[in-house]
Amino acid sequence: MKIALGAARWVVLPPMIVLSIAPIFWMAVAAFKPGGLPLAVGNPWWTDRPTLDNFAELFQDPQFGHWVFNTALVAGGTLLIGLLASLLAGYALAYLDVPYSRSIVLVFFATYLLPQAVLFIPLLRVLARLHLLNSPAALVLTYPSMVIPFGTWVVWSFLRRLPPDLVDSARADGAGVYATIVDILLPVLWPALATVGLFAVAIVFNDYLYTSTFIQESSSQTIMGALGALITADIDNPGRSFAAAMLATTPLALLCAFFADAFARGLSTGIIEQ
Amino acid sequence: MLAPAAILCLGTITYAIVLEAWFSLSNAGPGTDGVFVGLANFQYLAGLSNFWQMLANTGIYSGASTVVKLALGLAMALSLARPFPGRRIVYAALFLPFIFPVVLGTIAWFFLLSNINGGLNWILQNAHLVAQPVEWKGRLPMVSVATVNVWHGTALFGVLLLAGLRSISTDLLDAAAVDGAGRLKQFLHIIVPYLKPAALLGVVLSVLGNFGDFAIVELLTRGGPLGRSQIVSTYAFENALVSGYIGVGAAIALVMVPVYVVALVVAYRLLGRE
Repeated sequence: MKIALGAARWVVLPPMIVLSIAPIFWMAVAAFKPGGLPLAVGNPWWTDRPTLDNFAELFQDPQFGHWVFNTALVAGGTLLIGLLASLLAGYALAYLDVPYSRSIVLVFFATYLLPQAVLFIPLLRVLARLHLLNSPAALVLTYPSMVIPFGTWVVWSFLRRLPPDLVDSARADGAGVYATIVDILLPVLWPALATVGLFAVAIVFNDYLYTSTFIQESSSQTIMGALGALITADIDNPGRSFAAAMLATTPLALLCAFFADAFARGLSTGIIEQ
Repeated sequence: MLAPAAILCLGTITYAIVLEAWFSLSNAGPGTDGVFVGLANFQYLAGLSNFWQMLANTGIYSGASTVVKLALGLAMALSLARPFPGRRIVYAALFLPFIFPVVLGTIAWFFLLSNINGGLNWILQNAHLVAQPVEWKGRLPMVSVATVNVWHGTALFGVLLLAGLRSISTDLLDAAAVDGAGRLKQFLHIIVPYLKPAALLGVVLSVLGNFGDFAIVELLTRGGPLGRSQIVSTYAFENALVSGYIGVGAAIALVMVPVYVVALVVAYRLLGRE
């Protein structure tokens, strides 16, 4: 078994690695190509004259600053609301005598599976009525609805596997809900919260439907919405977009490098090892 | 304590679904909630060949991508199951497409598949496999969008299946080997049954996720050429937001609900067996 897997591994892995990395590698190369030079000539996979022109141009563009700011705002708001609501709901379902708590958990799980494409048309109308279109608030209000089901689920299943004495003894000592959560639970709960946080950031960086539907003005757009719109609008100078893409991915890549294993573990413990 | 989560998530979703159901039975347009028209929107759609092609496209896109992702994810999980030098780096490389924002990944593929000095054509032409550049997104639109989907989503299957593999004890496999079970027998009778829950969960997540996919198709082909790669969300988007037929768009989006319900039942059965 061991030997067979060992041999097969070196047949399977190299092509998978190459295919996984190739598009990202291509984009990284394109980001360093001279800005004026169209992509239509030369080796698309390499450049002999790497330059930082695209990055320099990008930093002079006030729009890019707006996109970064909006993305940070949306990510921060989604994280804060998503984490807080998930933590409270998970706590209530695990420790308080909520009637039908098992059914409520199942309902949360059901909404986790609901495709967001089902909802974007009515949500657009609701946000228009609230005069929230073209504002990052539209996303800060809607993204948590995608984070909370998963977040509540992860927090709840994590809490359920903790020894019950932990919270019971704190409450017996007269600790309130706030003290119980902050002093007793947060120190042990942080891997679950890191998983939920990463999930929230992933939603902000992966959504295109809501951001392109709810936000039309470029200066109110998130990075992903703006870059998607630039490509579909047939831009004259894509080099800058690739530079922006590389910059936008860096924080995610760093997060992943530190948390990938924890995230994968949280994801699978949250769902499989129930 | 449940209130924030319940309002932000369940409240928003319930309200949106009710509004969507109303829209689908009305002639709502931009800025108007319309009047009741019965099933006229559904009748209109049922008479369109476009609509049926879109449904077939969505099923093929979702189904074919899921099958390929399951196969590749299994290969990934089996290759990474045992420790070997460089395993962490290989894992990170294979995980990268999953955390790379889908908008950016699709933009990279957009240029790779392009007929204007695209990365794929460059390789094929240098290998003398094609004489003239091929416009892949126009020639094979469904294969193109499914390819990006597989590229992005394989790692999720890999992670889920890897977690499933880790739950199989080495003793069990060793005992089977001592009893004279061949590699194929070990695989079929021990590994496959253990992996079934993880695989089914991956399939449910993938089928539902792909049914609601938007970014990949919208950015790569816009459902074109001539609707040949149109799927539910892009079709609903086009009808509701580009053409302004909100009622028709809502009716299209509701088509996802039956698939969602079936997937839910499967998921509950799965988790109910805990």
